[in-house]
Amino acid sequence: MKTTIKENDGKLLVALVGELDTAAAAGVEQELQPLYENEDKDIVFDCEKLEYIASSGLRILLSILKKAKSHGHTVTLKSMNDDIKNVFKMTGFINLFNFE
Amino acid sequence: MSRMSNQFISFFKSHGKLSLVVIGVALLLEVISAVQYLYTRNIMRDELEDLMGKEITMKAMLVKGMLNYTEGVLNSHADAICDDLVQPDSIYDHLQWLTHVNKHFSGVGLAFVPGYYKDRDYLYEPWTYRDENMPDTVLYGQLGSAEHDYTKLDFYYQTVSKDAPYWAEPYLNYRGAKGLVTTYAIPIHDSKGKVACVAGVDLSLSWLSDTLNQRHSHESSFSLLLTENGELISQPSSSHPKYADFDNAIMLINDSTVSRHKTKSGHFTCIEFKSEIDGSTAYVYYAFMKGRPHWQLAIVCYDKEVFDALYSMRHRVFLLMLLGVALLGYIVYRFLKGNKQLADIEMERQRIDSELHVAKRIQSEMLPGEEMTQGGVTLSGRLIPAREVGGDQYDYFVRDDKLFFAIGDASGKGVPSALVMSVSHSLFRAIGARESHPARIMHLINEAVCQGNESNMFVTFFIGVLDLPTGKLRYCNAGHDTPLLVKGEVEKFPVKSNLPLGVMNDWFFEGEETTLEPGTTLLLYTDGLTEAMDAQHRQFGLERVCEVSKNHADAEPSRLLSDLIASVRAFVKGAEQSDDLTLLAVRYSPQEVHFELQETLTVQNDVKQVTLVNEFVKNVAQRTGYSPEQVSGIQLAIEEAVVNVMNYAYPEGETGEVEIQAAASADLLRFKVIDSGMPFAPTDAPDVDTSLSAEERQIGGLGIFLVRQMMDVINYERIDGKNVLTLTKKRNC
Repeated sequence: MKTTIKENDGKLLVALVGELDTAAAAGVEQELQPLYENEDKDIVFDCEKLEYIASSGLRILLSILKKAKSHGHTVTLKSMNDDIKNVFKMTGFINLFNFE
Repeated sequence: MSRMSNQFISFFKSHGKLSLVVIGVALLLEVISAVQYLYTRNIMRDELEDLMGKEITMKAMLVKGMLNYTEGVLNSHADAICDDLVQPDSIYDHLQWLTHVNKHFSGVGLAFVPGYYKDRDYLYEPWTYRDENMPDTVLYGQLGSAEHDYTKLDFYYQTVSKDAPYWAEPYLNYRGAKGLVTTYAIPIHDSKGKVACVAGVDLSLSWLSDTLNQRHSHESSFSLLLTENGELISQPSSSHPKYADFDNAIMLINDSTVSRHKTKSGHFTCIEFKSEIDGSTAYVYYAFMKGRPHWQLAIVCYDKEVFDALYSMRHRVFLLMLLGVALLGYIVYRFLKGNKQLADIEMERQRIDSELHVAKRIQSEMLPGEEMTQGGVTLSGRLIPAREVGGDQYDYFVRDDKLFFAIGDASGKGVPSALVMSVSHSLFRAIGARESHPARIMHLINEAVCQGNESNMFVTFFIGVLDLPTGKLRYCNAGHDTPLLVKGEVEKFPVKSNLPLGVMNDWFFEGEETTLEPGTTLLLYTDGLTEAMDAQHRQFGLERVCEVSKNHADAEPSRLLSDLIASVRAFVKGAEQSDDLTLLAVRYSPQEVHFELQETLTVQNDVKQVTLVNEFVKNVAQRTGYSPEQVSGIQLAIEEAVVNVMNYAYPEGETGEVEIQAAASADLLRFKVIDSGMPFAPTDAPDVDTSLSAEERQIGGLGIFLVRQMMDVINYERIDGKNVLTLTKKRNC
């Protein structure tokens, strides 16, 4: 599992690559720490290369969303494949995030 | 009183039809009584005419008798008088004697043909007569003179000219005693056969009045005697109460213009008139006497007196009738009032009935289906309430490959017990959705039922949770009838009775467990089965239940229950069902599944090793031909289940193992996640609310939710000190 964070057009662009399973979750949470500290930018996750997500991954995304919302910012999930989007649908997370 | 009559009036206004009936009956009674009255009156009228006829005839005979007597006396003395002619001086003695002995004769005398005796007066009329003041003294004298020319008098010339006896018209006496007299005269012939003189008897008529009015059928009636020409001969005495009417009566009889009618016999005539005295109706009946003199006899009678009895009867009947109608009205009033009350009660009853009907429907809709077959279990339930709604209930549902079933009987019957039962039943469903232990379910239901149970209702309840894969049965009994276990033989299923629900708030319900052998049927029932009574109050009894069940050891639960119900019905023979009858039969007969593939992976309770698990699962799923989408879902489910165990089964810092068994058949893929950590049933975790907002959503709880979403069946069992979570994905789903 690989993550990269870039700043572009005043937004934080985060690429998620690989399988975000529970084993990877702790590392990912560590890597995404800057997002927890972000107070002034909208966040966009590029999910094009995200192959799998477990509930531990969902938890990370929910934590980031709650943080961002508290500062009045949005979290957008981009280019997500249908299998993963299905998980978002099942859990109702599809109503919480913006999708592109 | 007036309020009551107003009530009455308004009541009759609002019940027009029946009021009409009452009025109709009143009119009918009135018509009947009027017809009866008229009929009776006619009969009485006929009888009156008859009576009047008889009375007139009788009185006429009285008069006639006297006249006949008079005629007889004079006629019989005619010869003697004839003999006397030659000795004119002896005539006086003879005449005097005749007058003397006949009290009603006021005088007897002879009126000679003028100049009969040369030596006597030309008009010679020797006459004896009673003294005016002393009737017993008979005087005599020669009355004939130029002033009193008797030849000009009626009695003389009629008798002479006709040479026959003659009755003179009554006249006022001018010789002797005062009063009305009439004269009977016969011609007396001398030896040569020539008329010598006329012999006459003056018959006093004043006594007739008394005789005729002596006695009448009706007290105020009076009689009149009139001449042929209608002149009065005899009248009632002036002291008679109806004296004033006699003139009137005479006038009517003489006035040919007055309408009159003949009586039925045709002999008498009747005139109806108004009394001069009081204007009341009166009748005068009269007839002519036969023979000479041709007098008329009349009797006056008064309507009031004649029909007095009829009138008084009529009044009484009328009063009785009024009373009867009033009574009828009152009865109708009470009847309608009663009817109104009955109708109200009936309406109320219908309302309750319809509500009960709805309640019954709700209750029966709360029941699950009567038949169910799933995952190796066949189940049948029946509920026959004694009344519309009952206090019995059975229920079952399958959750996570476990059959939850229950049977209960609330104390009493009807609505109250149905309500209490509904509460218990709903709680069983609600609590059973997240709790798999019967004893804990029972405990929670008991707490709820005890709360505010002021009517001290209680419920006997049995809860069973049958793990379908293993046949492990956990159960808890709250004072309910001991179930039966049917497997060739019929035996009592050993249960601790505990206490019924609702009795003691803090009672600890002890649960039990056993494993059902394949092919056994558990029969649950309420006391409506064993205590079903026939007309002689004999109970069906447990022995009969066992007897019937024995014959159905291998039968389907539905047939077992049908036969039990049929046996009960045959036993009670139509006696009224005294209690709800509820039956529930659960037959456990799992099917063997053949697995083509069986592999096992064991990992440590370290999330780092999840990747191994994922690879293992993905590999198995792919090999057994599941689609990539399905593989991804299965992988997610197993990961979540395993992570759950890794995180919670073992105390923090303690190393433990997690075993993942994979098995695949033609129809399904099954994973078992096994650990030897603390007992933990992830299946009892509450569902996640996916409709909440980001702020409201909890971070945890998603794992088991995803497992449920991805897999078709999940099942948790604690087996031999291990937690076994079985996750099944069916191939065709």
